[in-house]
Amino acid sequence: MPMMFDHGQPSYADVNKDILSTMLVTGRGYWILLGCTMSMAGIFFFMPWIYQLFVGVGAAGMNRNAVWGTYLSNFIFWIGLSHSGTLLSAVLHLTNSPWRKAIYRSAEAMTLFSLMTAALFVMVHVGRVWFVHWSFPIPNQMGLWPNFRSPLMFDVMAITTYLTASSIFIYMGSVPDFAAVRDASSGIRRRLYTIFSFGWRGTAREWHTLGWAYTFFAIFVVPLAVSVHSIVSWDFALSIVPGLHHTIFAPYFVCGAIYSGTAGIVTVMYCLRKFLHFEKYIGQVHLDSLGKLLITLSLIWTYINILELFSTWYGATSFEVEALKFRLFGFYAPMYWEMILFCAFVPLLMLSRKIRLSWNKMLVISILINIGMITERFIIVATSQPRKFLPDAFGFYFPSWVEISITFGSFAIFATLFLIFIKWVPAISLYEVKETLKPLRRDS
Amino acid sequence: MAVMGTFAYEEDFLNAAENLTSSGFDDIALLSPLPLEDAQRALGLGKSPVRRFSLAGAIIGALSGFAMAAGTALVFILPTGGRALITLPPFMIITYEMTILFGVIFTLLGFHFVSGLPAWRDKPYLPSANVDRFIVVVEGADSEQAAKAVTIIKEAGAEEVRHVEDSQ
Repeated sequence: MPMMFDHGQPSYADVNKDILSTMLVTGRGYWILLGCTMSMAGIFFFMPWIYQLFVGVGAAGMNRNAVWGTYLSNFIFWIGLSHSGTLLSAVLHLTNSPWRKAIYRSAEAMTLFSLMTAALFVMVHVGRVWFVHWSFPIPNQMGLWPNFRSPLMFDVMAITTYLTASSIFIYMGSVPDFAAVRDASSGIRRRLYTIFSFGWRGTAREWHTLGWAYTFFAIFVVPLAVSVHSIVSWDFALSIVPGLHHTIFAPYFVCGAIYSGTAGIVTVMYCLRKFLHFEKYIGQVHLDSLGKLLITLSLIWTYINILELFSTWYGATSFEVEALKFRLFGFYAPMYWEMILFCAFVPLLMLSRKIRLSWNKMLVISILINIGMITERFIIVATSQPRKFLPDAFGFYFPSWVEISITFGSFAIFATLFLIFIKWVPAISLYEVKETLKPLRRDS
Repeated sequence: MAVMGTFAYEEDFLNAAENLTSSGFDDIALLSPLPLEDAQRALGLGKSPVRRFSLAGAIIGALSGFAMAAGTALVFILPTGGRALITLPPFMIITYEMTILFGVIFTLLGFHFVSGLPAWRDKPYLPSANVDRFIVVVEGADSEQAAKAVTIIKEAGAEEVRHVEDSQ
């Protein structure tokens, strides 16, 4: 097992003390930051949404040609960002990778909160949100059930399953740590964590059962995560709209999702390390491994993009070529080339080990990758629907201030959820970090 | 009566567990702050029944997923271009998702069923078992067995041995 710690090996008691203190001790800075993110979520997300509920979805920039807009591109972005957390955690658990142990809890939380944010965008997009339950197979006043042949229903089933499985996955992995919080706290917090931890004692039988169950969760979650973004891609690819009707879309979306999610993990790890002082636990081995993963994903992503261009050129269908020309040289061309720069070229800097091991440089690269990825999703939506087949059906889409504000506010919602999370769940798994330590021996 | 021995070193704890099981004690709980395969092996824990729950959940999910999609298509008939009402490609996606959903939920139920959690009764426990101590609990012992257990635990290097009440 490789050495995981840059600053020497902590003891088991140090692990409990260091990690639990981030939950049990709260400074003024935390409350100020939480107040800021909550206010921003209210002002930039919920207030424009309420405005849109009153005036109708006409408040958004969507129109007759472009019936899908920023809400759905943001939906894809947030679903994509959710992918690396649980998926990476599950894959690394099944392959027994030790560097996973310090980062997976926060990565899984990222999955959960990204999914919640993504689900909010569906509600914003549908307009009359009070009818959203019609998309679920539950009895309603219309006496109707959903049409399961529609890709949108695949989405409902996939995302519901993913949200359920991810919640169970992160909760079950946290049960032993909830017991540690219970033992370290008092009063109402102790009572709450007694319930959360189910009376966990850490017996060999409990560990054995948890190990088996957790492995099965991981086995279920890996194909689930792949299916979720494949299904999201079919929302687009199963239409016949030029620029969307591509067989490569499922692997393209899955690759892009893991790519942006991994970049998101780097950003979150930077923040945890910096603000919760986890330097001892999140070290260069994690950064190096994530950097190598990002380079690999970047190359796959670039390859798929080249393939998409090639297949359109080789197919030479006039409406596909027109959609491609609009994408490469039209109004949104600067955004397309920005995406190529940030997602195909900038990550190549990580080929240098020096850059890979620099936290600040990796933070910048990870943010640029995610700017590129949110642009990618916007371009997919904004350059395809306004270029449908005949010129008389051509149109234009530009997001309104409501859509731009709600997009900005979604980041505040994510940050708020994450800030609440770090005070309720140990951001690093106590017992899995202990597994990476050399056991204390009588003769040592 | 139960005997509880606290160890600072993992190797001593595992020695105590092995000596107790080889001496015929079968009602033993081994508490540790992290999962230890050797401790599980000492108690003879092999393949967990949780896997049967996972399999059952996956099968039930697959069947109910397909039944839901196909049943809806038959009850609310929506002819599309002369195609079959029960169409496999889209319905297999619903089946796939429901297989995983039920598999996960049944695995969760399996965890609770097999591990005996939530625990409704107080059981011998020390909070240090969640920090840095390894604890052996021998339950259901009469006074003679308890004395024997104390000897084994002390010989293995326990830093503290105490008598506690059994599970209440």
